[in-house]
Amino acid sequence: MLDTLLPILIFSVLALAAVGAVRRVRLWRQGRPARVDLLRGLAAMPRRYLVDLHHVVARDKVMSNTHVATAGGFVAAAVLMVLVHGFGLAEGVLGWLLLAASATMFVGSLFVARRRRNPPARLSRGPWMRLPKSLMAFSLSVFVITLPAVGLLPEDFGSWILALVLAAVLAWGLGEMVFGMAWGGPMKHAFAGALHLAFHRRAERFSTKEGEGKRSTGLKALNLDDENATLGVEKPADFTWNQLLGFDACVQCGRCEAVCPAFAAGQPLNPKKLIQDMVVGMAGGSDARYAGSPYPDRPVGEHHGSPHGPIVAREGKALVDAETLWSCTTCRACVEECPMMIEHVDAIVDMRRFLTLEHGQTPGKGAEVLDNLIATDNPGGFDPGARMHWAADLELPLMSQCGQAEVLLWLGDGAYDMRNQRTLRALIKVLRAAGVDFAVLGDEERDSGDVARRLGDEATFQSLARRNIATLSKYRFERIVTCDPHSFHVLGNEYGELGGDYAVSHHSTFIAELYDAGRLDFRAWKGGRVTYHDPCYLGRYNGEFEAPRNVLKALGIEVAEMQRSGFRSRCCGGGGGAPITDVPGKQRIPDMRMGDVQETGADLVAVGCPQCTAMLEGVVDSDAEVRDIAELVADALVEGAPSSTPGPASTRQPLAEEVA
Amino acid sequence: MRPDTTMMPALEVTALVSIGRHPVTGRARRADQDARGVELARSLANAEVSLLHAGELAEASEPALRGYLGMGFSELSLLEQPEGADVLPALAEALDAASPHLVITGERAECGEGSGLLPYLLAERLGWPLVSGLAAVEGVEDGVATLLQALPRGQRRRLKVRLPAIVTVDGAAPAPRQSAYGPARRGSFETIAGSVSHDEEWDQWQVQPARKRPKRLKIVKAASARDRFKAAAAKAEGGGGQVLTDVTPEQGAEAILKLLREEEVLR
Repeated sequence: MLDTLLPILIFSVLALAAVGAVRRVRLWRQGRPARVDLLRGLAAMPRRYLVDLHHVVARDKVMSNTHVATAGGFVAAAVLMVLVHGFGLAEGVLGWLLLAASATMFVGSLFVARRRRNPPARLSRGPWMRLPKSLMAFSLSVFVITLPAVGLLPEDFGSWILALVLAAVLAWGLGEMVFGMAWGGPMKHAFAGALHLAFHRRAERFSTKEGEGKRSTGLKALNLDDENATLGVEKPADFTWNQLLGFDACVQCGRCEAVCPAFAAGQPLNPKKLIQDMVVGMAGGSDARYAGSPYPDRPVGEHHGSPHGPIVAREGKALVDAETLWSCTTCRACVEECPMMIEHVDAIVDMRRFLTLEHGQTPGKGAEVLDNLIATDNPGGFDPGARMHWAADLELPLMSQCGQAEVLLWLGDGAYDMRNQRTLRALIKVLRAAGVDFAVLGDEERDSGDVARRLGDEATFQSLARRNIATLSKYRFERIVTCDPHSFHVLGNEYGELGGDYAVSHHSTFIAELYDAGRLDFRAWKGGRVTYHDPCYLGRYNGEFEAPRNVLKALGIEVAEMQRSGFRSRCCGGGGGAPITDVPGKQRIPDMRMGDVQETGADLVAVGCPQCTAMLEGVVDSDAEVRDIAELVADALVEGAPSSTPGPASTRQPLAEEVA
Repeated sequence: MRPDTTMMPALEVTALVSIGRHPVTGRARRADQDARGVELARSLANAEVSLLHAGELAEASEPALRGYLGMGFSELSLLEQPEGADVLPALAEALDAASPHLVITGERAECGEGSGLLPYLLAERLGWPLVSGLAAVEGVEDGVATLLQALPRGQRRRLKVRLPAIVTVDGAAPAPRQSAYGPARRGSFETIAGSVSHDEEWDQWQVQPARKRPKRLKIVKAASARDRFKAAAAKAEGGGGQVLTDVTPEQGAEAILKLLREEEVLR
C-alpha cells in the first residue's frame, strides 16, 4: 500500500511546495530592481554556503556540527527519498544511502531538540519550538519506511494501520520540511537563504577559489540624479528585491540581538525583530505572531504594515518606530555575527535616508548637525578658517604650499575638539620623530561626510565627498594617514564610488610600519595594566585588528584583552550619529563598555578613534584612563631616535593664514 | 472635538521669505527668522500657506530658496526683481492682488539693506495692522486673530488683531523644521512679473563688512552665588530712564539727543 501512497504523497507535497515557492518569489519581486549576475551567483552558491556561511556558524562548534548533521542529512535524504520512494529506485546502494542520511539527520535533530529544551533568550520560540519534533518525524519515518525497501524488513511488515501511521508521520515531516519551506514556515530559511547567498547584494564579501572575501562595508551610493524618484526606502517594496530576499533568509537565531549594543542598552532596537518586521511588511500583516525578544519596551502586536504601506508613519504607528532606526550605532556587530549574511546596517541606512531626505525628520540634534555641515563643512558649525588654530605653533606643512608629500595627514573634525587636539599633537610629534614627509590640507579639508551619510543625508555626503575629492585631486601623495577611523573608512571605502581612490591607513597601522622599519624607538612601558578597545570602524569595518596591538606590544605593553574584543568588540556608542540622535535607553552604551574595561582590571584603555575617546571619557566614575595610541607612542618616544633628521617643517611657511 | 474644517474657509497665509546669509561662512541659506515665520504658518490649523520671494533666481541663491520648499511646499512664488531694486512697491502690489488674510515675515533680512523697515512700510502702504515679535498665532475666528507677542525675558502679551494683518517673527518664534532635500529639489518656482522700481539711493551706498560694536560690560559685584543668580535673572534696570508724555517733537528730540551725548554715542 505504501508503494502507491508514497509517490502520491511525495509528489503532491513537491507540487504544493513549487506553488508556494512561486508565491514567495513574487513577494521578493515586489522590490526595486537590482543588478545581480544570476548565473554566476547560483554557481557560487554552494561555495558561499559551505565555506563562508559555515565559517560564521562554526564560531559555535556544537551548533555547527548539529547543523551539518541535520541539514546535510536532510538534503541527502530528501533527494534520495524522491529517487527511492518517488521513482522506486530502491535497488542497490541508493536505499542504504537513504538509511544513512536519515539516521544522520535524526542524530542532528536530537541535538536540535537538546538546544530547544532551555533555549537562550535570543532564540525565537513559537513555530521554532516544534522544529526538532518535525525533524525527527521526517527522519524517523523516512528511516523506517526505507527499511523494507532495502530488505531489512519484509515488504509486508506490520499491518496497514502501521503503514497509515507511518505515512501520516511522514506527511507531517514533509509538511514542515518541504511544504513549510516554501510557504513561510521555519524551514523557509533554507530556501530563501540559499537564494540569498546566490543573489547577495555584496557578492565581494564571499571567498572565491582565488582567496578570501573582502570586507565589503562601504555603504552604497544613492542615485540622486532622478528628481522624481523617492529617495531612500519608504515602504517595504522600496527595498531592492535581493534585500527583501535577504530578510526572508533570517533564521531567527538571535546572534545579532546578543551582540547589539543598542538592544543591550535598552534602546528600542533589536536587529532580529527589525528583520522580521521587514518580512511582515513584505507579506503584509501584523507583528503579533513574532515569537522572539521584542524591541525593549515596545510590546509586540501594535505594529503592522504592508508591501506598499509606509514603514515609519509620520504620526502614529506603522511597521517600525523611527526611534528603532535611529538607535543603531552602525557598529556592524549584527552583520558580523549573522550566519545568513544579512545586511542590517544597509537596510537601516536606507530607511534613514527616506526619513531625512523626504520627511526632514532627523531626530535630536540631527537637523542642526546637518545644517552645520551644509553651511560650514563641519558638524559643530565652527568657522572653516579656524580649523588649524590648534596647530598655530606647529608650523605644519600645508599641501597648498608644498603640492606633494609622501603622506597626507587627514585631520578630521577632531581638529576642532580640544581632546582630540592632544591626540593630533601627539601624532605630529611621532611623525616628526620618524622623519616622515607629510603635509596637511589645512583649511581646505572638510568633514568626510561620515556622519551626514549615516544620518541618511546622502545629498550632503555626496556634496562633501565630491568637494573633498576635487581638493585631493590637486595634490600628489602616496597615501592618506588619519587618526579618525570614520574618515579612514569613508575615504578608503566610500569615496571610490564617487571617483576618489586612495590608499588610506589608520595612524596605528602607519606607526606599526614606522616601528618595523626601525624609525621609532620607545622607552619601556612603566604604567599599569592596559586593555585595548577596537573601534568598530577600524576593526569590523576595515579588518585592522593587529596593527594597534603590534604598536602596544612594541611599547612593551601586554594587552589584557576584554572578553569582547577583536571582531566581537562592543561599540562605544559613538557611531552612526547615535550621540546626535540620542535615543533614550535604560543605560548608556559607553557605560557598558567601560564596565567591560573594568572587568579586565585595566588602569588604562588604549583607543584609536576620536569618537571612542569622547564616548569612553564621558563615562563618570571610571577608574581607567582613556588614551589614544598616538599619545602613548608620543610619551614613550626616545628623543634623538634613529632617524632624527630635522623634519621637513623647518623650511615651511607659517601655517596661520588670514581668512576673510 | 475637531473643528469642522469643511465649513470654515481656509485661512490664506503668505510667508515672505528672503535669502539669508550664514553668520560664520556667509553662505546663502534660509534666513533664520523667515524660516521661523514659515514654521509658524505651517503650524496654523486649516491654513493655506504660500511662499513669496521678491528677487531673482541666481545660482548662488537657489539652494537658499529651495530650503524653504524643503519645509513641505510644492511651489514658491517668485516676484521677479533685479538686484538693487526696491521691492516694496512690487510686494505691496502683489499682496494687494492676492489679498491673503495674514502675511508672516521675519523681522529683518540677513543681507542686503536689512533695515528691518520693510514690514512697517508694507503695512503702511497696504493700510494693514502690523504686529512685531510674534511667538504664536493662537487662533483665528471671524476675521480676528489672537496673537501671542513675545516680550523681553520670556514675557508674553496676548493681542487680538483684525485681519488682514502683517506679523513679524524673531528668535522667539518656534525653531523651523528641518528642510528635506527631496521636496526641496522637486519644488518649483512660479514666476510672477512685478513692476520694477529702481532704488537710486541704494546705488549710492557703499557696502563694507560691519565692525564689531563695543558692548557695555555688565559688571556684577556679587559675594555669593545667590546674588550672582539674582543679578543674572533680574530685569535690566532702566534706572536712569524717563518716560516723556505730552511733549512736543522738539522737546522729545532734544531729550534723545541729550541721552545720546550722555552715553557718548554722539560726541
